[in-house]
Amino acid sequence: MSRRTRGNDSSSVSGPNSALTEFLKEQGISAETIRQRHLARLRAETPDTAASEPETREASDEVEASEDELEIRIAARRKRRARGDAYTDSEDEDEYNSDEVAKKFGEVDQCVTCDKDFTLTVYSRYVENGYLCEKCNEKAKVKERNAKKNQLLARKKRQKLATALLDKQDLSRMPKLQDMCISLISEHIDQVEMLGDIGAINMSKISRILLKNRRLNDVTASLFLEPGLRELEFWDCSKVSSDALQRIPAFCPQLEKVTLSMCGQFHNANLQYFASNLRKLTHITLHGPFLISDVAWQEFFETVGSRLKGFHISNTHRFTSDSMITLLEHCPNLEELTLTRLDGLNSSEVYELIPHYLTKLRHLEISYPQNEDLITDDLLINILSINGEHIEFLNLDCCTALTDRFLTEGLRVFAPNLKSLSLKFLDQISDEGMIALFEQWDANPGLLSVNLQKCVNLTSAGLVFLLNHSGKTLVELNVNSVYGTEKLFFEDYLRSTALPLLTHLDIGFVRSVDDLVVEIIGNTCPKLALLEVYGNNRVTRKTRIREGLKLIGRQSDTI
Amino acid sequence: MSVAESPYVTLISSDNHRFIIDREAAMVSSTLKNSFSYDFEENATNSIKLHEIHGTLLEKVVEYLYYNLKYQNRVEEVPEFNIPTSMALELLMAADYLDV
Repeated sequence: MSRRTRGNDSSSVSGPNSALTEFLKEQGISAETIRQRHLARLRAETPDTAASEPETREASDEVEASEDELEIRIAARRKRRARGDAYTDSEDEDEYNSDEVAKKFGEVDQCVTCDKDFTLTVYSRYVENGYLCEKCNEKAKVKERNAKKNQLLARKKRQKLATALLDKQDLSRMPKLQDMCISLISEHIDQVEMLGDIGAINMSKISRILLKNRRLNDVTASLFLEPGLRELEFWDCSKVSSDALQRIPAFCPQLEKVTLSMCGQFHNANLQYFASNLRKLTHITLHGPFLISDVAWQEFFETVGSRLKGFHISNTHRFTSDSMITLLEHCPNLEELTLTRLDGLNSSEVYELIPHYLTKLRHLEISYPQNEDLITDDLLINILSINGEHIEFLNLDCCTALTDRFLTEGLRVFAPNLKSLSLKFLDQISDEGMIALFEQWDANPGLLSVNLQKCVNLTSAGLVFLLNHSGKTLVELNVNSVYGTEKLFFEDYLRSTALPLLTHLDIGFVRSVDDLVVEIIGNTCPKLALLEVYGNNRVTRKTRIREGLKLIGRQSDTI
Repeated sequence: MSVAESPYVTLISSDNHRFIIDREAAMVSSTLKNSFSYDFEENATNSIKLHEIHGTLLEKVVEYLYYNLKYQNRVEEVPEFNIPTSMALELLMAADYLDV
């Protein structure tokens, strides 16, 4: 404990030390200085025996040198020092040692840095070429302390940058005045009565910061409600009560698009009021509305009817097959549909009704179904055959029953306008399917976004065909955990194929990725801004990162 | 660009305070940059009247312009820019307008 009380200068982590060691270190005495001193003394007393010691190479060197030569060297050193020349070499070290030969404690010596005479004591510090006087020793100690402090600061800064990197922020850029104000306002949001005319972008920025810090509550939520508002996004409503949610349609009757995430307090009565009061509502996104009952859903769809164009729902077990049937019957104009993690929706017959009712789908997400057998190749092929012409966005994450057949007989035939495709965790998709889909798929001009995370059956062979087809248009690509991606694919294929628009690439857990691959990717993708390399432990500190490219997930960044 | 370009420009606040600042500093704001880069009246007179921004706010904005100019290319630790809490909202509106 005693060393901890001494204060901040010894704050770096080190192994266990005795109090004596710590004290000696403070005084500038180390095992090395003691050894040097001992050797010097030995040499002074019995030069011949010192010469025979095998471990003291320096000592033997200098004793071999003749007395005359020694004197010449000393003179040369004095001259050099007088000129202020900082130059030293191994010869110097030898010579200094020989200089100190005669010195003992209590004698007067010349300090090696300030050239002043001082009395040599047991506390005098020995640096590489001689002793320091008391003053210089103090200075050296301060210098060391500062160096340590700087090192700590630098490490802290590196850590800060690394954390910012994980948030995909750029700390090196100058912060904008707006952003500074916004973070300040968010801190003191409880004291704000009205936000005023700060612009829609700033408004949503503030709301997002609040949401990120989980500060959205009844009071802060009402700051964002304006009569003319057309779009509202509350990404975290967990602290917003049912009463406050009721205020949304009352204050903002013009709303067209509403997004409420984590809306566990969203009540049947709320949904009813939304339906009756928001006459222009066309898109609604609800994450986790688990209080809404089956009956309330049915009433909602009956009221909203053909107005509804986008319906996104996830994480509720109360949305059942009956609710789904009502949705299909009453909302024929749906263009966007998301059904994610709905454990109440467990009838394959209901899913099979989708192609019978919905014909205008542009955006379709059916992911994480209750049971993988609910979503089959045939179902998807049916849906695509009806809606294929419009479909631009397709997300089928974790519908693990899907196979290559859906790619070849569904997508390839019916989806010429597809732009975004997400097939996370589809472990039955193989290279053959990818090749059959993408080989000369001229009907489709190219995909913008592809997610193949954990499609563990895929290898480089399939990816080559994907990139041959969509390489020119791809903006986002995720091949996280596509283990079969070989290094050769990056080295040979990617080196020669430019991906001109790619801005976001995730190649995490692809073990073949190393420093060289990161470099190659940086060169062939001129617009790439974000590269994720989580779990690629062969990407090291040494890799050269192109300017403008952000590398996330490198192990060495956080250590 | 017609007249010889003065190295200084004048920003006038709503309560008629005049802030004469380096042209370079004004260029940090893209709104000001646009006003001073084309053949507008602002460019001829080298001054711009900001009807919406009060003097105290404008002073802070000017402080930021110089702060940005001074530190934008520094690698080492940049000192924090101090904003009084009471001013934050109004300053945000001004900053939004000036795009800084």
